Amino acid sequence: MNGDLPGTQGGVVFKEVTKTYPDGTNAVDRLDLEIRSGGLVSLIGPSGCGKTTTLKMINRLEDPTSGRITVEGEDILRCDPVELRRRIGYVVQEIALFPHMTVSENIAVVPSLLGWPAKKIRSRVDELLAMAGLPPEKYRFRLPDQLSGGQKQRIGVLRALASDPKVILMDEPFGALDPISREVLQNELVSLQKNLKKTIVFVTHDMGEAIRISDRIVILRKGRVEQEGSAEDIQYSPKNDFVRSFIGEDRLSRMSPDDPAESIVEEPWGTAAPWEGAAGVLERMEENDREFIQVVDPKSGQWLGMALLGRLRRAASAGETVMKGIYRERKLYAGNATLRDAAEMLADRDISIPVVGEDERFVGVITSGALARLAVERLRSGREEGKQS
Amino acid sequence: MMEQRPLWDLFITYVGRNYMRILNLTGEHIMISLIAVGITVMVCVPLGIYLTRNEKAAPYVIGLANVFQTIPSLALLGFLIFVFGIGNDNAVCALFLYAMLPVIQNTYTGIRSVPRSYVQAARGMGMTDFQILLKVQLPLARPVLVAGIRVAMVWTIGTATLASAIGGGGLGRLIFSGLSSIRNEIILAGAIPATLLALFADWILKRAQDYFNPSARAVRLAARHGAADDTD
Repeated sequence: MNGDLPGTQGGVVFKEVTKTYPDGTNAVDRLDLEIRSGGLVSLIGPSGCGKTTTLKMINRLEDPTSGRITVEGEDILRCDPVELRRRIGYVVQEIALFPHMTVSENIAVVPSLLGWPAKKIRSRVDELLAMAGLPPEKYRFRLPDQLSGGQKQRIGVLRALASDPKVILMDEPFGALDPISREVLQNELVSLQKNLKKTIVFVTHDMGEAIRISDRIVILRKGRVEQEGSAEDIQYSPKNDFVRSFIGEDRLSRMSPDDPAESIVEEPWGTAAPWEGAAGVLERMEENDREFIQVVDPKSGQWLGMALLGRLRRAASAGETVMKGIYRERKLYAGNATLRDAAEMLADRDISIPVVGEDERFVGVITSGALARLAVERLRSGREEGKQS
Repeated sequence: MMEQRPLWDLFITYVGRNYMRILNLTGEHIMISLIAVGITVMVCVPLGIYLTRNEKAAPYVIGLANVFQTIPSLALLGFLIFVFGIGNDNAVCALFLYAMLPVIQNTYTGIRSVPRSYVQAARGMGMTDFQILLKVQLPLARPVLVAGIRVAMVWTIGTATLASAIGGGGLGRLIFSGLSSIRNEIILAGAIPATLLALFADWILKRAQDYFNPSARAVRLAARHGAADDTD
């Protein structure tokens, strides 16, 4: 399995890939896409946008009509499809655990296809079960029917991890789950990916899910990339009306006041380092026509406070650093605060709210603009629903 | 003047005198049936699998098997004399033609009823077509497939009694000789073992089915590995 030669590109790369179906429709149309090693990338778009076809071309369940696809630097069209698939993890849409196999047999499908010795398989299965918080002695010989939906799909993910592949493909894996187990599994996937550094390609039609889990989001439409970028890029600088409406319909309109505040967090316009002089910072703020700035330690990423124009002026006339003008009391904690909290705080005083995580790590700010966009989206979708009924 | 003895008395006397012959014929009956069912399974299971991969041929093959099914058994046996002459070969062949339908049909529908998602998942994980068949499709189709074999088995054991009409052996000999000599006890001496045989074969297959049932198997696996038995 030494597929990756030194100096070759890692991850998954599509070059000018087209897939035409026999009826003449282009499911994928001259697609160029680079999925870097170790990233979690979501492919998202309306049905028929070619996201599943794109995914299935990576493990050659579908072959492109033209173009080139490389996985870990290797041209996959030159690989034996069966061998290729054994090197790539695959989690499917329907919970397709084999009902006649026990949990451990399901997890062991690929290792046994690869001919691992029984002992190695057994210890690998136990290791994975323990990792997913399912005690092996309790779950090893269960049948899929004896598991809950969330447990089943957890096993589905473990099955894809079993032979420790570098690349894992997931085709709407959490679509059939209830919202609570879905969120639990999404969080598990994110931490799993942080620990294991797999390249994960995740197909979904749920924008909220894509934003929650992925490093990068690729929005597809009619087989082409409409926009590609981080969750923030896409949310706050949608490239065109299609992306805007796709985000809007799919996410903002479905948010509720009890959703976490960090879901509308954005990058601040700028930050100041604690050792900067108050006068210099003040100048920058006046140039940008701003009334406040976040002070963040550039090395640790720790949030130190927020400097307001009035206090900063006083500090500047005394020749102090920016730290003299800061204000630390007004902030929200990521993971605790809801959109409702943010809205109340903003209604109280219309100044962006800093959001901090564990150890006062700076996450971003919530602006009244972001909240207003959300409110407008809610009103609009509410009215449309009203019209329909 | 013939004295009238009750049938059961005649039957017991007959069995007591001829038990060796009954046992021999039962053995022969089992042989004919097993050979016929064996050939049927060996031919029709692969044929049914082939049909799942060549859907266009399916209606024709199943239709043909259906035609054989509708020909009256005695007529078919008589017709086959021209091909195989008289004897057990002819009987086995006719039984095979009879048993074909349920086995082909159930193999075909059993495999086709395996949800596409399982096949897709198996292929996506790197199974070859043959591995998909062996590890996914056949195990999942097994209940339906075995049901087809059970039907074929019971029919074959029943119909095998007709083999003696064309010079073959088996328990049919007793039934036919009982019929021609108007002695019910001889008919019973042939019919009762044949019925018991059919019931027994069906029961064995059912037991086998239960044994290979996934949940029974999971319990066995757990027990063998000494795991805590808490499959609630």
